[in-house]
Amino acid sequence: MRALRRLLVLAGALLLAAAPVRAAVDTCAECHRGLDDPRLKAPALGFPHDIHAERGLTCAACHGGDPADPEPSAMDPDRGFKGAPTRAQIAPLCASCHADAAFMKRYNPRPYVFSMAEWQTSVHAKLAAQGDAKVATCTSCHGVHGIRPPKDPASPVFKTNVPRTCAKCHNPGYMKGHAVPADQFALYSKSVHGVALLEKGDVSAPACNDCHGNHGAAPPGLKDVTMVCGTCHGREAELFEGSRMKAGLDALGKPGCVTCHGNHGVQRPNDAMLSAAPGGRCAGCHKPGSVAEQGTSAIVASLSGLRGSLSVADSLLKLAEVRGMETAAGRGNLKEAQDALVGVRAGLHSFDSKQIGAVLAEGAALSRKATDYGREALRDWHNRRVGMALSLVVILILIGLVVAKIRQIER
Amino acid sequence: MSLNDWLRERLGLEALDHVIEKKRVPVHRHTFWYYWGGMTLFLFGVQVATGILLVLYYRPSADEAYESVRFLMTQVSFGWLIRSIHSWSANLLVGAAMIHMFSAFMLKSYRRPREVTWLTGMGLFVLCLAFGFSGYLLPWNQLAFFATKVGTDIMGSVPLIGPFLARLLRGGDQITGGTLTRFFGFHVAILPLCMTALLGIHLFLVQWHGMSVPPGTEPPAAAPKKEMRFVPDFLLRDLVGWLAALGALALLAALFPWELGLKADPYAFAPAGIKPEWYFGYMFQTLRMIPSRVLGIEGELLGIEGFGLGALVWALVPFLDTPDGRGPRAGFWRVVGVLAMLYVIVFTLLVYRGGPS
Repeated sequence: MRALRRLLVLAGALLLAAAPVRAAVDTCAECHRGLDDPRLKAPALGFPHDIHAERGLTCAACHGGDPADPEPSAMDPDRGFKGAPTRAQIAPLCASCHADAAFMKRYNPRPYVFSMAEWQTSVHAKLAAQGDAKVATCTSCHGVHGIRPPKDPASPVFKTNVPRTCAKCHNPGYMKGHAVPADQFALYSKSVHGVALLEKGDVSAPACNDCHGNHGAAPPGLKDVTMVCGTCHGREAELFEGSRMKAGLDALGKPGCVTCHGNHGVQRPNDAMLSAAPGGRCAGCHKPGSVAEQGTSAIVASLSGLRGSLSVADSLLKLAEVRGMETAAGRGNLKEAQDALVGVRAGLHSFDSKQIGAVLAEGAALSRKATDYGREALRDWHNRRVGMALSLVVILILIGLVVAKIRQIER
Repeated sequence: MSLNDWLRERLGLEALDHVIEKKRVPVHRHTFWYYWGGMTLFLFGVQVATGILLVLYYRPSADEAYESVRFLMTQVSFGWLIRSIHSWSANLLVGAAMIHMFSAFMLKSYRRPREVTWLTGMGLFVLCLAFGFSGYLLPWNQLAFFATKVGTDIMGSVPLIGPFLARLLRGGDQITGGTLTRFFGFHVAILPLCMTALLGIHLFLVQWHGMSVPPGTEPPAAAPKKEMRFVPDFLLRDLVGWLAALGALALLAALFPWELGLKADPYAFAPAGIKPEWYFGYMFQTLRMIPSRVLGIEGELLGIEGFGLGALVWALVPFLDTPDGRGPRAGFWRVVGVLAMLYVIVFTLLVYRGGPS
């Protein structure tokens, strides 16, 4: 039955695509546009802007019936008319085309092929299977009768729109009665990721689906969370995987990454996090005065020292630049030292003081080089002025001698 | 036989002695303006000397030009000084040449028999501008890249020969490493060759005809000529000016070292507020202010044609003015000279004062 339906849809689409004149005869849209009932009129108004309409599909591709027949008989179930699909029918209906690689290749040589198997791993699909009618299906996120491709900024699933699209359901009002938190969007929009994506438009920042998946949306499992964060923060994840901390957290049954950084509300890391004192992220497991706190205190002090020396080097180089000196080499050293500081922050995830100390020492050496370069440039600037003053004195003496000679000649 | 005698016998220095002994400079209330020719020549000498030193390190390719200038400025002893002096001296040279040209115009030094001296002077001025334009690109930084792009685009708008001229200068349709190499060739070979030839003729003619005495400053027929010996009286005064120029160069180079900027990136956006070197400023400002269409003619084209016509009239003024520099026609050309100076000064200032665009 399913194969027959797909065949009919495919045949209809092929016929319509091959015969544009016939495609133009879409009596469904013509008739529905003239109806008074907004529920019946709205689809006809929205569909011309739909990607499916742009690709030559008509109402009949999803709803069946005979679009060439201008009479109500076009909607005769005997002529294939299916009406509006129920919520449970939507995913299989979309999948009838979108899960068909051969069919989708007609429109895109590298198509995204939807996987029903993946969809069925999602919490949405599982709850739907249990009879929960509130959970999302394809149209909940992509819209209906006006669907835009995901790369279109107007699409609700365009990268910067995804968090708000998810929040249409994942909010305290809609999620009442469900056992999952509903404050994700509030936390995310203030997080380092949310600010980058929603406020700065940085599409490299993750949206909900980057961590949870989209068609297979589910909370990342405890074991998986390092892998989730590690898709972007690869170096940190790699170091953490080989660290003593990972073994310790595993033993306690605590997840990596989120134990210290949180999840939806993740903030830009700072030195204050590195403390077993109250307020520090280590305090959840380590006691004040413990070996861990002594270790983190030493690292924080070194980090602070490196930051301070970078600031001094930057100030010296800026001063030299203002005075017209060339500082490109010093700037190069400073950039490397700043990279080393980033390296230290990544290196903290090894929880290995030797490894962290080595990167800190490298950063400090580069910072010293930049500082020395700045000092040398300023010394050079001073020497130039002294040289200029001396040369001016010599020139003035020469001018005086020449003037004296002129007077002597003309006396 | 002393070395002096040996040289005199072989080089015929007696003839030179004669010229030196005979050469006199008229003394009157405008004598001051005579020093500007010598000043221009001195600054040209500074350009030659510093230019030769720069060539020792400069590498004329898109991959190496910027780096070689940076190396020169940071690693070579006094490299920064040589480059700064070369850049500052180039600007002072164009300024001195402008003063020399306008003073010669206002004092009517182009009168018979000095018409060719004036024409060679005009040629030298154009060569100075060409030196400035070609040299500006050589450090291969962002400003130079886009200023050259704008400059060659404007040249491309010249009627008939524009596209050919732009292609000849760029070595293609775009500014590339090939343009840099070509500009280097112009700057260190072709232009110096032309300059040497034209300067030789100019100096010979100045020597041949002697200094022009402006109309209205000639002493009465019965009175003795007021003049000074060129050597040593005038030359020593010249020397004072040259030493002062050297001091000014030292001051400028130390207080305002010439910036290197960022390396040219053809794919970057043009820096905001890009403007040419100040000596092209009045032309740039004029082209900015001309409406896009004037009487159905493209504004930029009209501006370029106007400059061409203006330069032609300026060059031909010895043939348009009266031979004795007196009378209403001479007065007219004096007014033209004042208006031309005002135009250049005001429009140059407008570029830096954020004038209308």
